[in-house]
Amino acid sequence: MKAGSGSVWIWRVGILVVFLAAWEYLTGIKAISKTPGLYWIDPFFISRPSAIARRFVYLMSDNVRLPLWRMALSTVQSTLWGFIVGVTTGFAAGLLLGRSDRIARIFDPFIVAFNSLPRIALVPLITMVFGFGLLAKIVLAWSIVFFIVFFNTFQGARSVDADLIHSARFLGAGERQIMRTVVVPSTLAWTFASLTPSISFALIGVVVGEFIGGESGGGLGYLIIQSLGTLNAADMMVALFVLGAIGIVMALGIRQIEVRLLRWRPEYQKR
Amino acid sequence: MARVRIAIRDLSKTFREGPREVPAVSGVSFDVHDREFVAIVGPSGCGKSTILNMIGSLIAPTGGEILVDGARVGARPAPQIGYVFQKDTVFPWRTVERNIALGLEYRGVSRSEVGARVKEAVKLAGLEGFEEAFPATLSGGMRQRVALMRSLVVNPEILLMDEPFGALDTHTKLNLHAELLALWGTRQQTVVFVTHDLSEAITLADRIVVMTRRPGRIKLLYDVKLPRPRDVIGLRESAEYLREYAEIWHALGQEFQERAS
Repeated sequence: MKAGSGSVWIWRVGILVVFLAAWEYLTGIKAISKTPGLYWIDPFFISRPSAIARRFVYLMSDNVRLPLWRMALSTVQSTLWGFIVGVTTGFAAGLLLGRSDRIARIFDPFIVAFNSLPRIALVPLITMVFGFGLLAKIVLAWSIVFFIVFFNTFQGARSVDADLIHSARFLGAGERQIMRTVVVPSTLAWTFASLTPSISFALIGVVVGEFIGGESGGGLGYLIIQSLGTLNAADMMVALFVLGAIGIVMALGIRQIEVRLLRWRPEYQKR
Repeated sequence: MARVRIAIRDLSKTFREGPREVPAVSGVSFDVHDREFVAIVGPSGCGKSTILNMIGSLIAPTGGEILVDGARVGARPAPQIGYVFQKDTVFPWRTVERNIALGLEYRGVSRSEVGARVKEAVKLAGLEGFEEAFPATLSGGMRQRVALMRSLVVNPEILLMDEPFGALDTHTKLNLHAELLALWGTRQQTVVFVTHDLSEAITLADRIVVMTRRPGRIKLLYDVKLPRPRDVIGLRESAEYLREYAEIWHALGQEFQERAS
């Protein structure tokens, strides 16, 4: 912790408290929502912190058919699977194409074409093929993560320092040893740098999948769409807060892993 | 005279730069004998690094040939050759210890022997206490020490060094000269050392190949007569050093002058 972080935290908590208090207070004044342009400052549209907290407790309980924690679990599970599968396949493909000019040249137009396709447009197709369950969400998350990791890894595999390869060769390394001790570690640095955006995009993919997927796929995206259908702002806010919390925890977790794996880099050295 | 380890015969190299052909090295011939320390000096762009790269199979010659222990140099470096680059080629993701261990690992040396030999090398290089450090935390001089020990720990019979101390300050450089001479004194490798620093060449070498400016030819083959072991700092005040320096400087200076005119 840096010096003075105490006062930074006081500020952060203060801002949060003021924001929530204003939200609670302003949505309680009927006159404001009657003002033109400010109609949305109304519990009907944006709910209120107290109502959101009450709904949160209720949705967490077993009184509902699909408790909140199970939806959150479904979202986290699909995100992590999409992430893991996306990172491993993206890395493998990036390394293969990055080290082989011929294969890279053959595949280049296909990759560019597929990557320029907005991934959301694929959701109905993926749903048709993989159904409404967990698998469709994982495939969707994968299709986004794969390309992020692939392009980073590809760049990394192309920019391996030739002199490092030469020096390994002079030390007696064979081609496989060069791959293992020079190309892979040097490429991994690039791959790791793509992990934090990847986890966020995996979450986006999963939530979009859940919008379409319906109840069988479950998840927080389903809760959001359901809330839209019933015009229930409080439930929607609950889903958004939980999603935000999940996003933060996953990003921090990945960041920890990244720092650990890249501790040899100057920017990660402890000062 | 000791046997010839590296024989260079009428070597030439022309680089293509678009439509232009740029001759870098032209008609160079010399021998490097067993356990001899040869330095190549010359103005920048004279092709001295190109010669070293050709001995190490990093570049293919366009004319002539190089024999290492009687065998013509091919696409892969001869196994008895070690190479120290000017550029920092220490693997940043490996600790000091694991960098030095690289060559031994590649050769499949047993774990316990790797440990013992690395420990000895770390001690020789004065890197104790930094075994677990990553290169990013080390100074340039220390990193180059790691690179040097990494090459030496596998006992290459022939060591090629391309301006290994070029990026270091004078003080660090002198320390590394002393260390290199001490190491060479015990292991007696055959060394080819490229530098643009004449005093470095005289301090270290038995023989100096002085190159002309581009396209590089041999201007002068000079035998350094300074006795060994050499004191890298005291040496520079000796009359013999100054005399030899002046002689070679005269030849080199002609090259600089021609360039300027």
